[in-house]
Parts: sequence; structure tokens; C-alpha cells
Amino acid sequence: MIIYKEVCVGCGRCQPYCPIGAISYEDMKSVVNQDFCYECGNCLRVGICPVEAIHESPQVYQYPRALRKYFSDPSATHAVTGIEGRGTEESKTNDVTERCGPGEVGVAIEVGRPTLGMGLEDIQRITRALARGGITEIEPQNPIHSMIADPATGDLKAEMLKEKVLSAIIELLIPRERLADVLRTVKTIAAEVESVFTLDVFTMLEPGLTIPREVLDIIAAEGFTWQPNAKINMGLGRATDQNHKINF
Amino acid sequence: MTHSLHREGSTDSLERDYALFIYPARGFNYKGCAPKVRRLVEIVYQVGPVNMIATTLRRNMYSGVRPEEVLDSIKEGIRVFSVFNRREKIKEVLKRFKAADEGISIVVSGLIDRVRDIALEIGLDPHTINISLGVHGGTDRLPPADIRQFTTMCGHGMVSPILVRDVIRRINSGKISPWEGSLILAKPCACGIYNPHRSAELLGSLAPLYTVERR
Repeated sequence: MIIYKEVCVGCGRCQPYCPIGAISYEDMKSVVNQDFCYECGNCLRVGICPVEAIHESPQVYQYPRALRKYFSDPSATHAVTGIEGRGTEESKTNDVTERCGPGEVGVAIEVGRPTLGMGLEDIQRITRALARGGITEIEPQNPIHSMIADPATGDLKAEMLKEKVLSAIIELLIPRERLADVLRTVKTIAAEVESVFTLDVFTMLEPGLTIPREVLDIIAAEGFTWQPNAKINMGLGRATDQNHKINF
Repeated sequence: MTHSLHREGSTDSLERDYALFIYPARGFNYKGCAPKVRRLVEIVYQVGPVNMIATTLRRNMYSGVRPEEVLDSIKEGIRVFSVFNRREKIKEVLKRFKAADEGISIVVSGLIDRVRDIALEIGLDPHTINISLGVHGGTDRLPPADIRQFTTMCGHGMVSPILVRDVIRRINSGKISPWEGSLILAKPCACGIYNPHRSAELLGSLAPLYTVERR
């Protein structure tokens, strides 16, 4: 984002709206620190500027800076996958797609959340650790998949590494018996991650909203605890498109 | 939306916080889904959410968008996100969704025990759960938990901790009420699941002993 100095009246009203504090005063005008800015567009979207001094920066759609917008602006659509946001439909439509079946689990590692944002080097730290552990099942329809230069090492494309985004999600779909390996790897790498990440696991339920004991036992055995709140697919969906295709 | 399961706060506060998502499945039931979603959105309006957004507009209930505009914007592939602040209301909307039987995926984010009870009471058999294993990494860099209970209410992290602190300061100095502050915080939320009622409760609880001189 950019604030045109000649238009800005220096009221400072935009400054608290920036999720990572990239807007500050300089010569009595509000200025966006271009290194910190994740191009989320929040300062523009809230319409707080009384003189319309806030605009998209001219280079926002130029690669690799464009990654900032794709991963940070909630209204942006990823050009390759056509998916709005940073991930797939994961558990939300699993009652229809059965993408994650019995005996499988999905794992999402959302880096940069809550609040902090992150440099893409943090993603590489995790993808490298997963690759070292032989875990390469990164969801093909997640934008992260196309950012990996070498699946064997988990290296991202080099030109991306200096970019910063609000968050990005590493999604995995694995057999249940591999969950312990993934959790152990994630636990090991956590200390090396500069930002923060949230970790979640999704699984099909047993009748009566019962979480499979096997999954909970693995989580507990690896030293993790689950929160009292969760996202629950209520089982009301069904496929209706003829010749429906799996396109995750 | 991945983040709705990571909403932070006390269990007591989360009792009044249920996010609801209407989610057609790409490639499986997109075709012809618009009238079905419209009927579901009409049910949501009838029951009374405390916030809502349609992905076709990306303007939440506190942006001045009218229900007619939301309904008129519904087209194939739309997703609708909303939030309710009472157990009875989320139960009622799910009961009506079950009766409507539109075949569109419905997701609820909330306390697992409460959602389980509701599902049993109305005869639903939930299919999949996404459980949170918490926050890891450089957690010492995070703002404190009393700020995060606000910022995590926006699924995309658009509610800035700086704005939360600014709103708390303005409430403590008597310039705005907790409800007015809550609406300021709800405005940037582009996913429509910021719960302004819960937020107002939390803001009020953070300023119980402040006194101001009104002239």
C-alpha cells in the first residue's frame, strides 16, 4: 500500500488499522513502511482516510511482491488455483467430497497467525523439516505446493524468500499412522520458527460427534493438547453435480 | 476461514460465540447452488445473526449493507459466513437448515461440547471435525491474551492489536462506549465472523474501574 504524501493531511487515523503496525508518522504525514507492508489492503478497505490518500502500490501485482497480496488480502484470489484465500476447502466440505476419508487425517500448519505475519523463510524452515522427515504430501491445490522448488529438500523458490505475508498454510493429507511423525517433526521445528504458527488436525467423526480415540491418543502421546472449541462440519451436504470431479 | 477454530478467550465467553459457514463444494454441488444458498441465507436472517458476510460483497453487517443487497448478490459458488451469540439461536438455525435439506455443507465453529449437545438435540450427525492444537513457535512475540481474544475473532487477522489498544484507551477515557468501540473493531473484519456482542462484553470487562470527568 502507499500513502501519497502530497494528499495526506497527517490525521493518523489509518495508523491503528494496520494489522502489523507498518504505518507511522514521517514529517507529519502517515507513511507505509514498504518492507513491513503485507499488502493486505486493510487501511484502504476500511475507508478511514478522509482525503483518499491511500492507494495500492504500483508494484503490488508484480512477482514476487504479488505474493504478499495473495496471502494477505482476504479479497484476493490466488491466480493459479482460483481459490480465494490461502488454503483449500479442507474439512469444510468434507461431507460432500470425502477428501479426507476414514483412516486419514488432514493437518494444517498456518504460519504467521495469530497476529504477527511472517517472512516466507519461516515456511521454508517447516517444509525443509517435513522433507527431512520424509513428509512430502503437501496439498497440491494449496498455493504453497507450487512455491516449492524441490520437494525432496522442501526448498522454496529462492526469489520468494525475502517476501513477507500475513499468513500461509501448509496443508497435508496423510494416513492416520503418519500423524505421530508429522506432529513430532512440527514440535522439533517450532523453536526455529521466528514467527508463530497455529496447528490443527481434521478427521472424520464417529457417530455422536465422537472424535476417534486413535487420533486423540496420538495427539496426547506427542505432547499436544486440543482446545475446547473446534470447527465442525455438520454433515448436511451432498454432491449433486453430475460427473463431479475431485479438484482439490 | 481456517482460523475460526483458533478463537481465544475464556470458556465462559466462548459460550456466546458460534460461527456458521454455508459452503458449496467446488466441483460437487456448485451448479444450481444459488437458490439453495439464498433459502439458507433467508433462514439466517430470520433467526438473527450478530454478524454476516457474503463472499460476493465482502461487506459485513456493520458496513451498512442491506439484506436485499446480500440476497441479490447470491450467485453460483458464493459462500456465506455468519456468527451467532446465543446457543438457542444457533440451534434454531441448524434445526431449520436440517428441515430445508438443501444439501449444502454447513460448518459450525464453537465449543465442541455445546455443538455436540445441539447436534444430539436436533438429530444431526456431524461428519468431520477440525481441532486446534494451539499456537507454537515464537509465542513470546505475541500480544497478550486479553488483546488476542479480540484479534482472533476475525478469521483473516484484519483486526489490528494496535486498534484494539486504541479502542480500549478511548473507552477508558470515556470518549466511546464499549458497543461503539466494538463496532469500530468489527468494521475491518472481511470474513463477517467478528462477534460485536461478545466484543462489547469483553471491552466492558476491561474497563470496570475507570472513571472519567464528563463536562
